[in-house]
Formats: sequence, structure tokens, C-alpha cells
Amino acid sequence: MVSSKTDTLRQSSRTKETAFDHSLMPPCQAACPLHMEIREYIDLIAQGKVMEALQVIRDGNPFPSICAYVCTHPCEESCRRVQVDKPLAIRALKRFAVEFGGDRMIDLEADLKYDDKVAIVGSGPAGLGCAYYLRKLGYPVTIFEAYHELGGMLRVGIPQYRLPRQVLDNEIQRLVQIGVEIRTNTRVVSLDLLSDMGYKAIFLTIGAHQSLRMGIEGEDSPGVIDGATFLREVNLGLKPSPGDKIAVVGGGNVAIDAARTAVRLGSKNVSILYRRSAQEIPADPEEIEQAHQEGIEIHYLTTPTIIKRTDGHLNVTCVKMELGEPDTSGRRRPIPIEGSEFSDEFDTVITAIGQAPQIPQAFNLRIGRGSTIQVDPVTLTTTRAGVFAGGDAVTGPSTVTEALATGRKAAFRIHDYLQHKYPKDDQDKDEVISGELLSKTAESIKTRSRQDPEVVSPKTRSKDFRPIEKVYNWGIAVAEARRCLRCGMGAEILFQDKCASCLTCLRVCPYGVPFLDETGTIQIPADQCQACGICVTECPAGAIVLRKPYDRSHISDALAHAFRQATETKTSPLIIGFCCQYGLYGTGLLSGFWRQAKAGVQIVPVLCVAKVEGQHLLRAFEMGAKGVFVAGCGEMCARDKTSFWVNQQIEKVRKVLDQLGMGSERLQFFDPSVMEEDPTAALDQFTEQIGGLYLDSLLKQEVKS
Amino acid sequence: MAKSLFEEKLNSGKFLITTEVGPPKGVDIEELKHHIDLLKEKVDAINVTDHQSSVMRYPSLGGCLLVKEQGGEPILQMTCRDRNRMALQADLMFAHSRGVNNVLALTGDSIDVGDHPNVKPVFDVESAQLLRLIRTLESGKDAAGNDLKGSPEFCIGASVHPSADFIEPQLIKFEKKVAAGAQFFQTQGIFELASFRRFMQYASQFNVKILAGIIVMASAGMARYMNKSVPGIIVPQEVIDELATAEKGKGLQKGIEIAVRLIRGIKEENLCDGVHIMAVGNEGIVPEIIEAALMEHAQT
Amino acid sequence: MIIVEQKPVDEIQRMIAPYERVLILGCGTCVTVCNAGGEREVSFLHDALLLAEVESKEISHTFVEHTVKRQCDEEFLDLIAEEANDVDAILSLACGIGAQSIAERFPEMVVLPGVNTSFMGMAKQWGVWDERCTACGDCRLDDTAGICPITRCTKGILNGPCAGTKNGKCEVSPEMDCAWILIYQRLERLGQLDKMRRYYPPRNFRPIPRPRRIMASPSIVAVGGSHG
Repeated sequence: MVSSKTDTLRQSSRTKETAFDHSLMPPCQAACPLHMEIREYIDLIAQGKVMEALQVIRDGNPFPSICAYVCTHPCEESCRRVQVDKPLAIRALKRFAVEFGGDRMIDLEADLKYDDKVAIVGSGPAGLGCAYYLRKLGYPVTIFEAYHELGGMLRVGIPQYRLPRQVLDNEIQRLVQIGVEIRTNTRVVSLDLLSDMGYKAIFLTIGAHQSLRMGIEGEDSPGVIDGATFLREVNLGLKPSPGDKIAVVGGGNVAIDAARTAVRLGSKNVSILYRRSAQEIPADPEEIEQAHQEGIEIHYLTTPTIIKRTDGHLNVTCVKMELGEPDTSGRRRPIPIEGSEFSDEFDTVITAIGQAPQIPQAFNLRIGRGSTIQVDPVTLTTTRAGVFAGGDAVTGPSTVTEALATGRKAAFRIHDYLQHKYPKDDQDKDEVISGELLSKTAESIKTRSRQDPEVVSPKTRSKDFRPIEKVYNWGIAVAEARRCLRCGMGAEILFQDKCASCLTCLRVCPYGVPFLDETGTIQIPADQCQACGICVTECPAGAIVLRKPYDRSHISDALAHAFRQATETKTSPLIIGFCCQYGLYGTGLLSGFWRQAKAGVQIVPVLCVAKVEGQHLLRAFEMGAKGVFVAGCGEMCARDKTSFWVNQQIEKVRKVLDQLGMGSERLQFFDPSVMEEDPTAALDQFTEQIGGLYLDSLLKQEVKS
Repeated sequence: MAKSLFEEKLNSGKFLITTEVGPPKGVDIEELKHHIDLLKEKVDAINVTDHQSSVMRYPSLGGCLLVKEQGGEPILQMTCRDRNRMALQADLMFAHSRGVNNVLALTGDSIDVGDHPNVKPVFDVESAQLLRLIRTLESGKDAAGNDLKGSPEFCIGASVHPSADFIEPQLIKFEKKVAAGAQFFQTQGIFELASFRRFMQYASQFNVKILAGIIVMASAGMARYMNKSVPGIIVPQEVIDELATAEKGKGLQKGIEIAVRLIRGIKEENLCDGVHIMAVGNEGIVPEIIEAALMEHAQT
Repeated sequence: MIIVEQKPVDEIQRMIAPYERVLILGCGTCVTVCNAGGEREVSFLHDALLLAEVESKEISHTFVEHTVKRQCDEEFLDLIAEEANDVDAILSLACGIGAQSIAERFPEMVVLPGVNTSFMGMAKQWGVWDERCTACGDCRLDDTAGICPITRCTKGILNGPCAGTKNGKCEVSPEMDCAWILIYQRLERLGQLDKMRRYYPPRNFRPIPRPRRIMASPSIVAVGGSHG
């Protein structure tokens, strides 16, 4: 085994690896209202580290299960993988992490550090988020909720087939566990009263529950109901009977939710009337598709003009529309076509053309456009000192994730307020990956088709309110996660003074990313780099590093760990295998290595074998390994030319082994793309071979002595 | 007055026949002497090769002296591979002083193809420059422009590759050699007359004598080997095929047949001024070839 | 640039045997570019030598590694003077010039070459380096269409190809281009074949007396007399 003397010497003489993180923010993270570290948790899922992935998710989101079900995933819309094939299924992967990650890592500790009580009015996602962070910061927090259960729109707005109540209850339970005081069935009518009760700060997050009116004749007829009310009744356990033939007016997610809820209540014929065309419809495309599958028809360019109630039915007169010039929202304004009126009969008409907040006058707040509370966008303060507001009540109807983000922001601004700190704008200053992939980069990336999670068949799912989306299994989740392009964590020329402009990086890059700029300096554009690591391994000047500290040091760390383990178990002969972590887990090609590797085999998991350098291999031998192997994923590798470059390192080290008379057969490369046999069988054979060599050497030593 | 007997023959207008002998590796020169004896009466001059194929041997100049002693007319093959200008000039003066007055100036094969691949290659000059160097010595000056006490005289020749697969650069080089003073050319081996006719149509405009190089093949295997490994030799596939038709052990006979046919053809068509027969290790059969070629010719 | 090749580890092992403390010194220019003596190779060799120690079960050396910007200028070597004081030998991974520069800068220090200085050339692609210049001191590339016959013809001859060329390749190897065929083709393309028809007299092999020195102007007085 190696002497400690050489070990310490080597450490001291090598360039120190520091912990700086130069990674840029990927577009998915930038698009996320919570700025979740999506790239990081996706990579952990790809590595099979689901618990760790969930921990990363929890760091950015106190209620990950909720988002895993209902997030509108703006991250996927900005995912650059769309330029190669399709974006990553980020939400479904988060759902996988939430389902499989367990709850062992949940931190329910929250010390009380301050006396200043904070009241949170409303328990929608913004209120829940704010309560969580304030309590974590150390404040006594009380949530006031008018209904008998917490959740706001999460509970009364979103249908259960999209967000099971058990999931919501579990997440809310954690708030209770960390010590948030809950007051349900308590409608706040006066803010002064709260102040009198000793609350030093108030966060108003009362949502936007008031449905907008269509302003047409017969709108108040019996049998006409607004979407928010309809969904609330269903969600609170009332079982309305809307009848067989239903019309839903509107094109947002509430309209779709109402229509699909009606289907689940037994309505036979549900149609949606939307005044613009399919291009403009704001509802989530996936939801629309699923609604179609459940037999819901959408009549575009159609709007009701008169509703008449006759004989227990509603006679609805509609007019066809055409699209004119774009309006202030940028969408083309619908204009009625004269003489295109027609009428139809319905049992119930559900109006879902939008909602607005309803702010009690007694709150004495300045109200802005759309009946929303006016706040300072940076501090979330209202016109009353100590009163903060956020969520739909400020923005109008928005997404759950936006609301959560506002809640978190509010917590920190309230903290600033209570501690008399100058409130700072916490817009993320991190550099965001800019621009699209160049087409030549996109073209050189292997395509890997997106795998969406399975969905319960329309026939089965439309019968009841059970959740419709299934969760990934391990194999598919890992495969899907491996599609991530790892934007912004690629290579950079850190030490320009060392760079000899040798052009090695330019020549070895499988994606043609490095280029010479007009001054003759090599540039590795961060927005194109695929973080495969080949240029880092090959750079003869050691001038290039990966932008994440973990990526830079993990092979050395993992090797040291394997060596410690080997010393403890005292197995000989020791065989060290550098194996791709992505391939080792789940249904990876190398997964058998963990289970079936014979005694004496220490596996060093690496994040792609392309990052294994000749020095690592030499060090494994230095540490006393009698055999060393490298095992990659072959064709399964998401990157390109990995095997070729691994081979370069292998051949280089083999030459040295031969020169030292150690025998190059002690170093092997298991490349599944060229191997005929099962990798585990190859490993067994190698183990046997090394064992044989080792015995021979022992015998020789005995003969000598 | 002619500078040598061979020069006299060059100018006589008769069909010339030259051949070559390779000195041994070692000092046993009996076989060399035997070959010289065998050939000296049958040919107009005998070339002595200079470390042929860069394989170290008894020197060309030594072989030439033997030819001289035995009453033959030697042609000193001189390559630039092993000697710089000083050594070349010295050897030339020595050759002249001992009556060796015909020189075939060659660049020489590269060191890499021979049996001493690690030695320092010289190539201080190449064939065209060597020709000019000889003419310089004849003018009474050495390569550095110093006066000589007594100047040598030589009949000088060079080599050309009429069947090279990329002929234009070879023709440029040929013209440079003509301009440098080459009086005769012994060509690289030719194996068919078509390309040689094309070459002669071009070369006949120059006032030089051309002797067609005839290599006698001993087998198809040898032809293939030469194609692969011997610089400057391109044996056409038809010739290899024809050699391959020979019964086992009769390959040389077939080779002789081909050589005779070529010589006859050249002579009949009066294509050039003579032939240079290279028997490569089978020097003994050269008289037989000459006899057959001339006899058959006489019969027709 | 100068192309070098790392010596086999066993040869280096024998070379360093008498010296306990060895500084492995890389160079940040040519030898970095040709993947033989930059920081990465220094570190690789360091590990290889440590492995050799472990294998021989005899830890008799200590190693320090360092890579300077350029070994062939003594000022850069000043920067490692302290480290150099602490070792018994410097194993230089620079070209022969770098190694000699160390010898000149540190008169008491043992200098060992870790690489063989091979030639002056360029990278044709990753991992392939080709010789392009022999530093003959008498450049004629204008006559030869920018292709050097001195370097790229195995015989280094002027005045055209020898008869050994076949299929455009050299008699030495069917892989190797015949420089004169390349020159002919390029001259033809440039409409300059007359340059090939010219006779070129024997080369001046000593345009500068050896060892060669160039001085910017006659008024310069070189320190240390003729050729340092």
C-alpha cells in the first residue's frame, strides 16, 4: 500500500482545488418562479440519488408534492432540449423524486427566535409558503383561514384528480409540525383588530375567488353558475347535479377544470365555448388534450349572448366570432360575425371567464386594476405600515408556483421589516445562460425521446376524482433525467495565463463548441458547452476546469473513499473500477456491478467515465490496486465519443504499466458498446485474471525469500 | 578524342548492350570476378552498383577496378547517399586516375530501405547536381571554385524513369539531367513497350543516348516483392500474371523469355540506342539473354 | 513549434535513480501544445513515478512538480530558484533548449531530460504531429510552392523527385507523401511550374557557422563571449 509520505507530498505540490462555483443559471431555473435548482436535482435523479434529489427540491420549495402535481412547469417551456428533440419532463421527474425520495430528510426543526407575531390572512400557496419561511426564520406565525380547511385555491379550486387531498393534507401537516398556529373558519374582517391582537406584521393573501361576470342577459338565471363556485362546492364535498348537458364558458384552466369535473359528476355532454381560436386558448395544452380524450368538445370562436331559462332548461344563444386586430394583451380581438347567431339547450351553464380578488373595504387598502391590492413590487408592502400582500389578491389569478414564490419573498421582506433592515430587491443576480443552442451544437447532440409518465385511460379516469397521472418507474425516470443537457455547468478556461492556445479543446470537443475569437483567443461559450468533460481531461496545460466544484473534485474524493473502504475491509487483491454513476443505478447497464461484484472489487462511481484522467488510473494502482478497470455506458451514454476518449487515457496508462513491467493487462476498459458479453461476466473474468496474477506474484515472492 | 571506350561506342550508332554486377557483402570477390569474366566480352560496358538498395557492400569503385583489370569496360555507379561533395570529388579523381572513366550519376536509394537504417543520410547533392559537379571537375575547378592540378574527364550518364506513374515531374528532372551534361541514360526497368514508346517520342528530341532498362524477373513473387519494396520499380500486373503461368522452378526461364521479347521488340522498332540488362543476382544468365535476343532477331 | 516525445517511464526511472529529491519541471509553450511536457504531463509523470516507487516497494525519491511558462528563458527559471535549491535534480519536460537553459541558470544543478526533442512541426489533428521545418537557415519555400523538400523529402533533394516515387508516395513508406509530387501539383495549380524547371545548385549547408547564433545588430556585445 502507498506510504503516507508520498501521499501528503503529492497533495502539497498539486494545484489546490478550490470550491468556487462558476456555473451559470440554466434557463429552466431562470424560468422557475422559485428558481429551483432543477439541473441539480435532475442530475441527482439521473445518478439514482433520489433522496438527495428530493432534498435539493425541498431546499427550494417547502411543498414539493404540490408542485409535482400541479406546477404549470414554465421550466419545460424554456428547456433547451426542445432544440434537439423535446424538453425534459421536469415536473414528472419531480413527482418521481417526491414519490420515491421518502421523508427522512425533512427538517421539522424551527426554533422561535423572535417575539414579533405575524398574521397570515389566507392559506393558499402564497400564505402557506410565507408561513413556512417565517416560522423557519424564527417568528411565531398564525394563519387565518375563512374556510374550515387550509389550502385556498389548492383545496377549493383545483380538482382532486389533479391534486389528491391526501398530498395537500400531508404538506400542510408539516406546517403544523414546525409550529405554525392555524385558525380555520376565521374570516378576518378588520386589520386593526389583528394589530390589536399583537400581530406586528400582516401578510394578506386572500386570493381571487370572485368570478367575473359575462354581462349578458340571463346570466343570473338558475342553472347558471360560476366556475369558482362550482369547483368550490365540489371540492368542499357538496355533490351538485349539474345535469347531462353542460356548457362551460371560457378558455382558461378553470374552464377546463370545471368541464372535466362535470364529466366526473356524470354529465354526458360537456362542451366548452371559447371566444377566440385554438391559438389563443390560455389553458395548458396537456389539459386540453386530456379534456378532449374525456369527450369534452371545445367550440372555438363562440360566445353566448343571451341565456333564457325555459322548462328547466337553459336556452343559450351564441354568436360566432372572427379575430380582428391584436388587443392590449397581444391576442387578436374577437369580433362577432353578424347573423351567425345560433342557439342550443343546456342543463347548466358554467361561466369561467376569469376571477378577481374581493378586498373588504374595511381593510382600507389602495385597490388597483382588476380589484387587486396595490403593493410595492420589491417589498410587497401595501399602503398600510406592516401590511404586506401577495398572491392572486395582488396579481389576479396566477399559478401555484408563482404564489409560492411570492410567499417566500414576503417572508423575507417581512423579516427585513421587523428587523428594520433596508429591504433589498432579491432578484437573482446570478448570470443566466443566454441564448439558444447554435444549430450546429443542437445537431451534434444525440436525440433521446422524451418519456411522459403514463396516464390512466380516459374511460377509467373520467368516472371518479382519483389522480390520473401515474408515477415513473426507476428505469424510465433515470433515462429521462439523463436527457438533461446540463446547461451552464460546462467547461471554462479558468487559467488563461496557462492556456497555451494549443487548440486541443477545439479539436477534441464532440460538439464543436470551443472556437477562436477574432483576437485569436480560445473561447468556450458556456451556453453551448455540453459539460462532457473531455476537454478538461485532455487539456495539456490544466487550464480548463468544469464550472461546478463538485465535478472538479469528485473523482479524487470517490477514489480516496474507495481506498479507505478497501483498507477497512482488507480485501486483496484489490481491484478498483471507475464506473459511470449514471450507468450503475436503476436499470443501468452496469447496475449488476454493485450487486454481483466479487469481494475485493471497489467501485469508484464517476459522473461519466470521460472525466477519468490517466492520473486517476495511476493513483488507483499507487494505492495498491492490483487491477483497475473503467466501465462506461457505451451507446447508452448521453454524450458523444466518450469511449474513444476513455480509450486514449487507458492506452496512455497501459503504456506506462508496460514500461514499468507491471503488465498492461491489469488495466481494462469495459465498453458495453463493443462488448459481446454481459459486463458483469467480463468483470468476473477480469477479477479471476487479476487474482491469478496476484497469486503468481505471491508465489514468486515466497520463492525469492 | 573519346573520353572512354564506352563513349566511343555511344557515338558509333550501334545497338548497345550494357549490364550490371553487384559487389558482394564481404571481401570474397570470386563470384564477382567470375561474373565479370562471363560478361565482359558480351556487353559494351558493365555497371558496378553502389550499395544497391542502400545495402552496404564492397564498393562500386573497387568493382570497377576489377572490371578494368579483367579487360572489361566499367561504368561507375555513383550515388549521393553516402558521401558529401568532398568525398565524391575525391572518388571521382581517384576513378579517373585508374582509368574508370564512365560514371552513372544517381541520387541513391534512401537509407530507410536498406540494411543500415540508423546511419546518417548524406544527400549533400543529388543526381543533377552530381552531373554538374563532374562537369565542374572537368573544367579544372573543384566544387568550391578552387583550381585543380590536372582535371579528370568522364563519360557521364544518368537514370530516368520512363514508366513512372506520375511522369511529368520525372521528365522535368530528365531535362535537368540532360542540361547538366548527361550523355547517356540507363532507364529504370521497363516491362512493356507502350509507355516506353511514349517516353521515346519525347526523349528523342534530346541529343542523348537512351538504354532501356531490362530487369530479368525470376518469379511472380519476386515481381510482387519488387513492386512493393524496391524503389522505382513498377511491374505491370500482366507481367506478373505471365510470370505466374510458369511451372514451379521455371520462373526464371519465363523471366528470360520476357526480357528477350522486350529487347527484340526495342531493337526491331529501333526505339532507342540500346538496352541495359539488370539480372539482379542472376548475372550468369545475361549472356543467354543477349544471345537469344540477337539470334531471334537475326532469324526474322 | 518544437515537437517532443516523453521518454519511457522506465528510462526516466533509471535516470533519476541516483537523486533523492527531484523537481519535475514542465514548460508552458511548445511541449504543452504537443501534449508531452505541460502541466498535465508533469502531473501524469509524477503519478507514474510514484507508482513506480510503490511497485518497487522502495520509496527512495520525493517529487515536486512545477510548470513554468517557458524554460528557454532564464527569467522564468528565476521564479523556481527556491524550489530548485531544495532538490537534487531537475527533470525537465521541456525541449533540449529548456533543459540546457536550466543547466545554464543553475550551474550546480543536475539536469535530466524527460523528453526527446523530436522535430519542428505542427499538429495535423489531435494526437498527430508532422515535421515541417529543419531550420536549414536558407529558406526556399518560395521556389517550392510552400512545401519544404528539405524536410518533407526523405532525401531532402532539390531539382525534383527521385525515381522512387510510386502512387505519389515516397519509396520509404506507402503512407508518406512524395514531397516533390506535392510540390509539382501545387506549382501547377499556382501556374509556376517554371520554378520546378530551374536548376538549383547544391545547398549551402552552413549559412551560419555552428553552433548558430543570430544577433539583432552588430553593435551588440554578447555577454559571456562567443556562444555563451
